[in-house]
Amino acid sequence: MAQMIDITINGKPVQVIQGSFLLGAVRSAGFDVPTLCHHKDLTPNGTCRLCLSEIELKGRKRLVTACNYPVREPLCVSTTAEPVVKHRKMLAQMYLGRWPNVPAIQNIAEQCGVTDGSRFKSELTEENPKACILCGHCTRACEEFTLERVLDFAGRGIKRHLTMAFGEPDSHCIGCTSCAYVCPTGAISVVDALNNPKDPVKIRNAGMRVNAEMATLDQSQCRMRDVGTANIVDVMNRYDLLPVHNYRFGSHEEAFKIDSKVLKSRFAQGAADGCWLGCSMACAKTVDHFELQTGPYKGHKVCVDGPEYETAAASSNMGCFDADFLFEFNFYCDTYGVDTISVGTCMAFVMEAFEAGVITEKHTGGLKLPFGACDEVLEILHQMARGEGFGVDVGKGIRWLKNKWAKEYGADADYLRDIGMELKGLEYSEYVSKESLAQQGGYALATKGPQHDEAWLIFMDMVNKQLPTFEDKAEALYYFPLWRTWFGLNGLCKLIWNDVVPADNSKKHKPQDAAKIPDHVRGYFEFFEGMTGTALDETRMLEQSARVYNFQRCISRMLGFGTRKDDIPPYRSMGPVTVEEYESRAERYDAQLKDQVGVDPTGKNTAEKVRLLRAFREGQYQKLVDVVYKRRGWTSNGVPKIERLKELGIDLPEIVEMVKNDQE
Amino acid sequence: MSNHNLKPIDKSDLEKIAARVREGFGRYKAMIMVCTGTGCVAAKGFDIRDKMTSEIEKHGLQNEYLVVSTGCNGFCAAGPLAVLQPSGVFYQKLKAKDVEEIVEKHLQGGQVVTRLLYTDPVTEKTHEKMEDIPFFTKQQLVALRNKGLIDPENIEHYIARGGYTALRKVLSDNDPEKAIDEVLASGLRGRGGGGFPTGLKWRSGRKAAKERGEPIYVVCNADEGDPGAFMDRSIVETDPHSVLEGMLIGAFAVGSHEGFVYIRKEYPLALVRLERALEQARTMGLLGKNILGMGFDFDIEVHRGAGAFVCGESSALMASMAGKPGEPRAKYVHNVEYGYRDKPTILNNVETWANVPVIFEKGSKWFASIGTGDVSKGPWNGNSGTKVFSLVGRVNHTGLVEVPMGMTLREIIFDIGGGIPDGRSFKAVQTGGPSGGCLPESCLDLKVDFDSLTEAGSMMGSGGMIVMDDRSCIVDVARYFINFLTDESCGKCTPCREGLFALNRTLTKICDGQGTPDDLAFLEELSQTVAAASLCQLGASAPNPVLSALRYFKAEFEAHINDKRCPAGVCKPLIQYGITDACTGCVVCAKRCPTQAITGEKKAKHAISSEKCIKCGVCLEVCKFDAVEVK
Ligand SMILES: Cc1cc2nc3c(=O)[nH]c(=O)nc-3n(C[C@H](O)[C@H](O)[C@H](O)COP(=O)(O)O)c2cc1C
Ligand code: SF4
Ligand code: FES
Repeated sequence: MAQMIDITINGKPVQVIQGSFLLGAVRSAGFDVPTLCHHKDLTPNGTCRLCLSEIELKGRKRLVTACNYPVREPLCVSTTAEPVVKHRKMLAQMYLGRWPNVPAIQNIAEQCGVTDGSRFKSELTEENPKACILCGHCTRACEEFTLERVLDFAGRGIKRHLTMAFGEPDSHCIGCTSCAYVCPTGAISVVDALNNPKDPVKIRNAGMRVNAEMATLDQSQCRMRDVGTANIVDVMNRYDLLPVHNYRFGSHEEAFKIDSKVLKSRFAQGAADGCWLGCSMACAKTVDHFELQTGPYKGHKVCVDGPEYETAAASSNMGCFDADFLFEFNFYCDTYGVDTISVGTCMAFVMEAFEAGVITEKHTGGLKLPFGACDEVLEILHQMARGEGFGVDVGKGIRWLKNKWAKEYGADADYLRDIGMELKGLEYSEYVSKESLAQQGGYALATKGPQHDEAWLIFMDMVNKQLPTFEDKAEALYYFPLWRTWFGLNGLCKLIWNDVVPADNSKKHKPQDAAKIPDHVRGYFEFFEGMTGTALDETRMLEQSARVYNFQRCISRMLGFGTRKDDIPPYRSMGPVTVEEYESRAERYDAQLKDQVGVDPTGKNTAEKVRLLRAFREGQYQKLVDVVYKRRGWTSNGVPKIERLKELGIDLPEIVEMVKNDQE
Repeated sequence: MSNHNLKPIDKSDLEKIAARVREGFGRYKAMIMVCTGTGCVAAKGFDIRDKMTSEIEKHGLQNEYLVVSTGCNGFCAAGPLAVLQPSGVFYQKLKAKDVEEIVEKHLQGGQVVTRLLYTDPVTEKTHEKMEDIPFFTKQQLVALRNKGLIDPENIEHYIARGGYTALRKVLSDNDPEKAIDEVLASGLRGRGGGGFPTGLKWRSGRKAAKERGEPIYVVCNADEGDPGAFMDRSIVETDPHSVLEGMLIGAFAVGSHEGFVYIRKEYPLALVRLERALEQARTMGLLGKNILGMGFDFDIEVHRGAGAFVCGESSALMASMAGKPGEPRAKYVHNVEYGYRDKPTILNNVETWANVPVIFEKGSKWFASIGTGDVSKGPWNGNSGTKVFSLVGRVNHTGLVEVPMGMTLREIIFDIGGGIPDGRSFKAVQTGGPSGGCLPESCLDLKVDFDSLTEAGSMMGSGGMIVMDDRSCIVDVARYFINFLTDESCGKCTPCREGLFALNRTLTKICDGQGTPDDLAFLEELSQTVAAASLCQLGASAPNPVLSALRYFKAEFEAHINDKRCPAGVCKPLIQYGITDACTGCVVCAKRCPTQAITGEKKAKHAISSEKCIKCGVCLEVCKFDAVEVK
């Protein structure tokens, strides 16, 4: 909890957060000091000195600049003390003498009660009303908004001036316009020459809000700039949601070996590595100069593009808590063009089957494959790429393996269905959804299979607790897949929507709305309008998406998926399959039996408790599916109703054809 | 010496090495310590050394005399120089041919060459031994304890003088907190200018590192950007290991394993000696892992600064070390907590570090007993130890002097410095470098320590001391320093950038005879704002030359402004040259005048045409009869 400090400002007692800058306190107490170099979204640099205030600390008076003075202990502040006013006037004269016609300066002079700067008139006096006044907003915006250092000052003392390197146009400038946006005088102007958007200013305003949030909030939120999505490893492990040993468990004592701290120490730092030029989040990370230990590039030093959270979690799912393995795995998956999630989840399944004795070294070509078998995982990956050995089987995925092992090795098909984490033929992505009904739906109801691109609800459900009721969860499964589809429709990244949130988001909105992050949704709408000239609201956005979403579901139906049976997940994603799993979290499950299922667990053996819990959870899931289908305008078998297609204006004959036989 | 002979040592080896080296020295009749500090080297000090060596060999005396190149002896005014040890015979202003005479007459013949001895220009007494020369008698050498006695490029010389035993003591006590207590009790305050109690700084750094579980760095500030100052350079050139040992002790006390020396690139000789010292220390296991076999790891890396004055400021220095522009940042967040790489960082000045080993060798009590102040009343009350000054300007004995804190300006300037040359009178002394203040005659009995200098409107700074005689114009001097500071201001904050520029303009205007009466109030007011509102200490102290000049020499400003007159005869637009009756008509001035402004018959009084005169002052300089006057 932030500690509060009692201070007085001009005699008025106020409380401020320890370590916060004095200027905020001054302003919220209803006083003001002139500021020129201060900008609300930039790190204060304390260079104009106009915010000078007098503080009294332990009986000693001194002058400080309010904008960057951190309040650490009780003190008395005066913003109007005689020396302060005197020095401010002198500073205002300096400014007015040098840049007499700049409105921002005239404004400051007026605030300080200064009308004449003639004592500072010199050969350097600049009459231009749009002159650069050296406030440094632009240089900080360049660095803090966009992680570039294209602009900076050169020249010592009075020769200080703004420049790009060597005084030449710098090709690293990406044209993000941040500098012009924050310039208080108009010294930097923008020439719009790209894409002919309808309203560039609107787009810039929306974009700059994102930049400002990245610069000011990311550091205390997800630290996407520092560690990218790797920050999630720590959170998931803490909340028992990190997949461990094929989703049996949600945390592991060795997770620290691949957490964000370790990854940060290996990530190249300080360079913007975004998917697009000018992305102020730039969450893509790389491990540079990594020396490979296996495979065709053994001994080469390479740049590993990642790892992202999912890859790190895939590693944990395989029980491989080793950063060097993780990098090597990441590199070869990328190089071979296979998905780290699919390989990871599939290998985790293979490993569980191996440990359970479903398959043995006989089937794996002599490889021992318990959890944590890092070298063997890499070997299988190389086999997969070479089209040799057991790697070929693994490369075909869980659905294929389940079939083969049941058919050819006589394995228990039900057991394999419970633990084989795939649906619609796609491997699960890396979150343990057992305790989150919303995420179970998010995965299993997703059109193209259990990835979380469509409905990443685990965080809002389990960490932020924004979906407390059954109805909230069902509604989330209506809204979020459509909202997330909308990003895809417009080719926009969704990370800046929810990997940084406005500081007051959860204060301003009730939880279910807060989960939508309304201020950010509005930002996207403004961007859309600035680009196209068409205004957008939630209803119209949902409509745009719903057309595509329902169309996709129809196609899925046509391809032989897209009905209720395809939306029922393996039980591992819903609850503990095995006795061991149950017992590892017995307290939690026992409590649930008592509170939610209404049976007293005492005296019952674990197998029975597993069965009782399972019956309850599967029932809950079916109920959820009923409500969601209804909300989406689908039949109880999960097929879009023709009237829904009509409503959306996509009841074209070809589409109707796909679903007409499934209508109720 | 080559490093090949060096090998890793452990804690029991120091005495053995010392004994061996001393015994080696003892085999010679005398050692000839030839100064190879920057000052003497500039006057061909290396030639003297080489000549000395070859002459000795020529006379077959190489087994009786050993030539040692030392760092700066301090008495630069007398360079190039050589001192015979242990006798202390002091030869000065040597030329190569003098060396032959010394070898022949003195080394071979046993007769001191009187001609090459030092004669005091004031008392006109000739002194044979260094210790009798007034320049040296009142000095007390602590930081410069090995000055002129060792070869700075030979680590064994340092060890022979007891070097690295303080480190061993601290390591074997193995109690960092106690080591910090010792430094606190010594009353040592930062010699880089701020006078911050060193022990306090170490304690906060250690605490910050511990609390946050972060590494801590120690840094030596060898930027020394003040014009005219060369204390730090001399220490590094004379006795680099004293600095390294100080840093090692400091590192152990605060828990650091990585240190840096930030040194300006313009100090090539210091750089070479520093690098060599590091190399030798590393070879002997005095840096690196498991130092002296006592389980402590520490190493030092050199960072070269590009020579901006502001880069000596702590936060700018750390920015510069990190490869960013050398600009200061607000000090509300302290470097001891968030310094280099945002980690706790202990920055101390060269001289501060050099003092540290002595404190452990001789005890904090001994150290505290030197100087003024009373550290037992609190860390800020101490003014212990000595301070090194570079004494320059209009003073007879320019050079490097080290005196106990609390010595008066008069003693330093007149007793050690030998007073003002050419029979002129003392006018002012600028202490504390460019942003110090000009103190007048009435301040001569001021005790020189951190606090009294500040009170008088100047400061200790890093120890620059520039003496001025009655031919210096105080307005011009203030303008000179403000001009320097205007150039060296980093320009980041407004009061320093715009304010110094305006101060400079106004002072220039006054020197040009364009001053108006309200300029004085403006200078005063503006100086106050620059001092109070600037971001870093450069700006905060920059107005000192103006404020102190106004405080002590207001009348001189008024003469410039109201009477359009420069009493010292310096400000060209305000003066005219004339020729008095003392003129003998020697025509030297007429010949030298670049604009032929001087006319006159041979052996008759000359005259200067004020239209043609460009006030270059050549006539004044060349006239042997003091017949040129400034009006
Ligand atoms: C403009 C400016 C220049 C400075 N230059 C130096 C310098 O050249 N050497 C130095 O040791 N300290 C210099 N300092 C002081 C340092 O900021 C710092 O206080 C000092 O190095 C700390 O060491 P100390 O406590 O041992 O004195 C300078 C300070 C300012 C404001
Ligand atoms: S006071 Fe001068 S040197 Fe210091 S930050 Fe300001 S402009 Fe730079
Ligand atoms: S607003 Fe410029 S220094 Fe504080």
